[in-house]
Amino acid sequence: MAFHRSIRSRRGRRKINQVFELQLTSMMDVLVIIVVFLLKSYSTTINTFTTVPGMQLPISRSEEMPPESLQVIITPEAVTFENERILEFVQTAASLDGSGPSYEFRKTDLDEGGRRIVPLYDALTKARDKAELLRAKSKTRDEKGNPLPFEGVLAIQADKRVQYETVRRVMYTSAAAGYKVFRFLALKKE
Amino acid sequence: MLKRPSSRRKSSAEGINLNLVPILDTMVTLIGFLLFTTSFLSIVHIESPFPISSEKEMEEQLKEKPLQLTVSVHESDTELWSPFEKFASKKIPHALPGQPDIAGIHSGLLEIKKLFPNETKLVLVPHAATTYDVLVSLMDSARAVEATDAPIFARNPQSGNDEAVKKLFPEIIFGNLLSAPGGDS
Repeated sequence: MAFHRSIRSRRGRRKINQVFELQLTSMMDVLVIIVVFLLKSYSTTINTFTTVPGMQLPISRSEEMPPESLQVIITPEAVTFENERILEFVQTAASLDGSGPSYEFRKTDLDEGGRRIVPLYDALTKARDKAELLRAKSKTRDEKGNPLPFEGVLAIQADKRVQYETVRRVMYTSAAAGYKVFRFLALKKE
Repeated sequence: MLKRPSSRRKSSAEGINLNLVPILDTMVTLIGFLLFTTSFLSIVHIESPFPISSEKEMEEQLKEKPLQLTVSVHESDTELWSPFEKFASKKIPHALPGQPDIAGIHSGLLEIKKLFPNETKLVLVPHAATTYDVLVSLMDSARAVEATDAPIFARNPQSGNDEAVKKLFPEIIFGNLLSAPGGDS
């Protein structure tokens, strides 16, 4: 009995004296793999394009990354320009049975025979005036000493369900406001 | 009675324990920064200018009679045609209702590219009900040459050599932007 007691007491003493050391090697392995993965998928170009909840962008095989520009987001619910919701669509009766488009413009939002979107035109004109004012104040000039011309580039980000009729109205309105180049945004095909 | 293990042997077997805590701190900070700044959704774009034409340009065009390759999407089919009848127009029926046959359109465009290898412009006239998804697919099929496509060669005016074309018709403009809502052309 005395022998057993002495062994037990010795084991207990050893446990108390031992310093608890956490094995960090396996954790380091995991973290190194995560860092390598993140560095591989890290894009050096800053993507300033935002999206809205529920947005379904189509997939494109294009390789061209969009440079920074003003952007319009079109969803079946609303049109957003530079993170500001400028108009909301009205749900149609045809959307209930799926026989037609699920949304339409309010009649008061359109003019020029239904081709121009008034709130969007106002927002685009305002943004253009602001850009031109900034360019006029800027010290960067062209060869003749004039302020740099307004580029007029607009990025269009639309939900995959949005119909061409709506995109066409946005393009027409943008062109009327002085935006002559459109960039259609999509997700890159991996 | 059990023999106590030698303390000398025990000490020699012990390895050097590297202090990994500072490295771990750095790793965690780095992962936090990368997660915060990495964009996992990579966005690409397809550029298209608004068509601008003056009367002079129109007159010159009528004299020159360019190809002006046009892809018109109708309710039940897609038509590849030229206003100056540079090639026989072709109608490709939709694969599904409202869904153009993208593969068929692409092969049709490849045939036209073989006839006009230096042409880069294409006029797209989608139907009003064409969805943005289909629009992007149409532009993709009209712009890119796929790896599985038969090579098409075009004479490089600078080098004078025949080179394989990398793009089909990369300059896309919309042909019905000025038409009234509901109209196709």
